[in-house]
Amino acid sequence: MAHRRSVILFWQLAILALTLVVWQWGFEWSKMLLPKAYVPKILDPYFVAKPSLIWNSFLRLGCFSDAGGFLACVRNNDNNLWIATLVTLKNTWWGFLFGSASGIAAGLVLGRSDFLARVFGPYVVALNSIPRIALVPLVILIFGLGDLSKIATAWLVVFFVVFFNTFEGTRAVDRDQIAAARLMGASEFAVLRTVVVPSALAWVFASLLPAVSFALVGVIVGEFIGAERGLGKLIIEAEARANASEMMVAIFIMMIVGILLAMLVQALQSYLLRWQPQFEGTG
Amino acid sequence: MLSSGPGLALAAQAESPAVPGRRIAVQGLMKSFSSGSGQFTAVDNVSFDVRQGEFVALLGPSGCGKSTILNMVAGLLPRSGGDILIDDDHVEPGRVNRKVGYVFQRDTLFPWRTVEQNIGYGLEIAGVAKAERADRVAKAVDRAGLTGFARTFPRMLSGGMRQRVALMRTLILEPEILLMDEPFGALDTHTKLEMHKTLLEIWERERQTVLFVTHDLGEALTLASRIILLSARPGRLKEDFDVSFPRPRDPVGLRETAEFGRLYSHIWHSLGEEFRRTKAD
Repeated sequence: MAHRRSVILFWQLAILALTLVVWQWGFEWSKMLLPKAYVPKILDPYFVAKPSLIWNSFLRLGCFSDAGGFLACVRNNDNNLWIATLVTLKNTWWGFLFGSASGIAAGLVLGRSDFLARVFGPYVVALNSIPRIALVPLVILIFGLGDLSKIATAWLVVFFVVFFNTFEGTRAVDRDQIAAARLMGASEFAVLRTVVVPSALAWVFASLLPAVSFALVGVIVGEFIGAERGLGKLIIEAEARANASEMMVAIFIMMIVGILLAMLVQALQSYLLRWQPQFEGTG
Repeated sequence: MLSSGPGLALAAQAESPAVPGRRIAVQGLMKSFSSGSGQFTAVDNVSFDVRQGEFVALLGPSGCGKSTILNMVAGLLPRSGGDILIDDDHVEPGRVNRKVGYVFQRDTLFPWRTVEQNIGYGLEIAGVAKAERADRVAKAVDRAGLTGFARTFPRMLSGGMRQRVALMRTLILEPEILLMDEPFGALDTHTKLEMHKTLLEIWERERQTVLFVTHDLGEALTLASRIILLSARPGRLKEDFDVSFPRPRDPVGLRETAEFGRLYSHIWHSLGEEFRRTKAD
């Protein structure tokens, strides 16, 4: 049954409002109304903060409530919200870009060459079995506390996801379409460019959306373990001060960063795959 | 290659003609496949010639190896024995002959390309300038009766329209030899007749040398100037018929003539034996 947009929007907003109200006042109300043993600890602002505190922390971290003015605060504070967001966003982007570019390249090469696929097959499987996060301390040891180690971590997480999908996509290309292209005079490179790549693109994009989230996870974990700046670093600092509301600010910003990056990939996807039925009329 | 017109190629061919007018020579062709249990022979010692301007239908029951023969002629498949010559050049698997065009049974249009981009594919690969390409593609689109669908993706088209695009994609390269593998096999009767009409119009004007694989006797009689009948598996040459109905042919009217009926029942009898053998397997 098709529900009207306005009805759906109403319920979406209602759920949001209810969540915010319970989050903000739920703990105090239940303390007043319920016996002590039944007060839900999950609502304790010490652990989960509450919307008003989060808003205040946002204003402070974001330099909006600084006595010295916004610009001075942004300039002086080493890991203010804006710098942290910029650093994390930038590292996620580069990690995602290098990771997916190298994953696509490796997937195409191995997908088109039986010989290389068989030579490298066991190594790929072995490397892929390593939990990527276990490598983060090593990456930081090699690349230091700066941006490079975060980009490398994101690369590690993204590469294999994109590689496997590109490889499978390259393998799944219709042999008759390749034969048709050859019979119309296409060289091996032209076949790759005009048939294999466009055909495998749907598979590639199926991995790019999760890859964006993975890149963000990689960067944040890298920042947890050792960093000078970034949203992950902001969370670690807040944890040291047991400040839940500051952590929540960082988490919300990550959510927004994640959504923005995913939207970017989706926009690209619906343009490049506009020949597919599910993207008809979009992009 | 594309710039070399038919006249030029004919002149080149005339220099050392083993058999005058012969375009395709299939000689003692063999093909066996190895499956799980062992080897089986798909094509067994098949020999025939196709001469300049002939429209030859390769007719036989399903699984008789007729598509396999065509694929070997196109160089898509290595042969197990025998030889194939196109204009007295040995066909080598994997090497593309620009004089040859191929139309697949399956839909092999590129779904990510629009109709005009599909039709223009070969020209694009050959490096034909954009303006000339656009001009030729536009003409081909009109000729295929696809005016107004140039910017459409193949998925939006009917099966018949898609096969028209596939046909034009091949014909725009002006092949002198056309290999067709049951190109209308997946179409309904009405659409099939429409396609026959289109193909007859084109062929009766341009007279390419055609090798056309089909299991449909009516289709073979409608289109071809000669029918080569293959036996059930393993494919062997069974009979060779001339189809001398006058041209231009009308695919619907032709079927109502007595000549058509007589030849139809004659070949049908021969073909029927092979179908029964296929069933008995």
